Amino acid sequence: MSEKQTILIIEDERTISNFISRALTASEYRTIPAFTGKEGLSLFFSHGPDLVLLDLGLPDIDGLEILTQLRGLPREIPVIIISARDREAEKVRALDMGADDYVVKPFGVSELLARIRSALRRADRLKLSQGIQRSVYQIKDLTIDLARHQVLLGGEEIHFTQNEFKIIELLAIHAGKVLTYDFILEHIWGPYGGSGSNQILRVNMANIRRKLKENPSDPKYIHTELGIGYRMLDD
Amino acid sequence: MFRFFKELYHWADVQGHRIPAVPRNLGITALFLCAAYYASSILIGHTGGENNSALVFVLAVALISLLTSGYIYGIAASIIGTFCINIYFMEPYNAFSLSRTGYPVAMLSMIAISCVVCALTARVKRQALEAVRRERSTKALYEMNEKLNAEKAAIQLESDRISIRENILRAVSHDLRTPLTSISGAVAVLLESPEVSPKNLAMLHDIKQDADSLIVMVENLLSVTRVQDGTIPLKKQEEMLEEVAGDALLTTRRRFPDFHVELDLSEDILYLPMDSILIKQVMVNLLENAIRHSGDREHIRMCLYRKEDWAIAEVQDRGRGLSPEVCQAVQAGQPIPRSLSGDSTRGMGIGLSVCQNIIKAHGGFFTADNLPAGGAVFRFGLPMEEQPA
Repeated sequence: MSEKQTILIIEDERTISNFISRALTASEYRTIPAFTGKEGLSLFFSHGPDLVLLDLGLPDIDGLEILTQLRGLPREIPVIIISARDREAEKVRALDMGADDYVVKPFGVSELLARIRSALRRADRLKLSQGIQRSVYQIKDLTIDLARHQVLLGGEEIHFTQNEFKIIELLAIHAGKVLTYDFILEHIWGPYGGSGSNQILRVNMANIRRKLKENPSDPKYIHTELGIGYRMLDD
Repeated sequence: MFRFFKELYHWADVQGHRIPAVPRNLGITALFLCAAYYASSILIGHTGGENNSALVFVLAVALISLLTSGYIYGIAASIIGTFCINIYFMEPYNAFSLSRTGYPVAMLSMIAISCVVCALTARVKRQALEAVRRERSTKALYEMNEKLNAEKAAIQLESDRISIRENILRAVSHDLRTPLTSISGAVAVLLESPEVSPKNLAMLHDIKQDADSLIVMVENLLSVTRVQDGTIPLKKQEEMLEEVAGDALLTTRRRFPDFHVELDLSEDILYLPMDSILIKQVMVNLLENAIRHSGDREHIRMCLYRKEDWAIAEVQDRGRGLSPEVCQAVQAGQPIPRSLSGDSTRGMGIGLSVCQNIIKAHGGFFTADNLPAGGAVFRFGLPMEEQPA
């Protein structure tokens, strides 16, 4: 890449911010630290970063409020949420409000870097495609052909039920982004589908994993975000 | 003096109310009429024809209606009194006569005055009774209010205690995790840096490992404080057990990159209510236990299956197995004795008792055994359906 990509880190804990900054600099990113929400917003508008790391527990502004402001802009910048372990509901809301991904404290450096790479790639893809939907998605040896309604694993076709295919299609279109249970349910079964229980989705996913021969301890295609949703890997 | 009369009245009132209403009222009426007759007899001896017997009788009637219940006795007394005056205290004495001018008018007006007095006293009495009743209900309301206030204070205290506890937990979890995250993260950055000499690299590895085990320890302590006394409810949600297991395996692999574990899934759909973060912790603890203490990293297996109404998860290894004492302690739900766990297995006791507590809070079972082929198996079962509390 000719130009370094810029990442805005909105995080009030200086020690965390420092090590993230060091790790990202070592991986050839340019970083801008912001220690309050206000500072974060003003740095966002003055520097136009390529990605934002956002801690939800800021001292001055609610992280979700910042997310709303960023999502109100015409150009969609990927946002990765940094959150504490026991705030499940907040994470789900952030994802439903358009955050791309999240990491939970305590998180590892490699995990964070992987998620940043994935979110940036997704943003690049969106920029290139300019809203035109691709019809073929390739994830490792998995080929998803939306036009032909076909899934190939290492050249061999796998048969999915209609709903299973719809789920795979949805995940593929949003590859790299965490999709919450509610998001998937609404897109596959409509606004009232599976209301109250997401068992139907979970069972479908279990079948998809078995058909893809996924090893849950080392998923190659679909990552489970426990209690939150699913994410198709994109590399 | 006034006080004395008040007490006397009160005493008489209390004593009087022991007698049934009708005899009491009749007695009072007779007593006052006799008194009025007697008083009038005395007066007539002194003043002759122009006496005040009518006023004496009106007073008697007023007192009677005050002390009896209902109008009847007062009205009866006024009629009897009128006749009495006519017969005994008006000329011609000892005979009923309406012959003198003005007598009928006097008689009627006396009856009327007596009745009015009687009605007025009855009203005063009713109002007094009403006032007493109102005071009583005010008092009852006040007492009820006091009681409610006390209950409210108790509930407030209890919820304060819970919220203090939750605040401490939140603070501890934040204040310990944040620095640990940055220590572990900073070391990870240093480990990747080319400027570190090989000697220092080994030390950094140790720091990283200890920081990571501290993180695990903090998670364990938080979980066990949360479930231990049951004051904080579990955050139960229906989850696929295999997804929880997958996440636990991922977390464990991040800490021990060189270990291998096989996951055996059955065809059963294990979708059941649980606090997934806590159940994941149980699995992480059991896997870590197998990796660090069994002496065998190659053949660790995790199996998930359904047996009757239980979703069961097992972690097996082919290591040195468990001593009967450890099996027994786990079976009995007791902590692993310190002497048995020893220094080389430090942390095993805490990890296992965290598991026991979490599973118990879910209404499940937790066992430890040796496999016939060698090695140990830790097994826990969770009820497939939410059990009524």
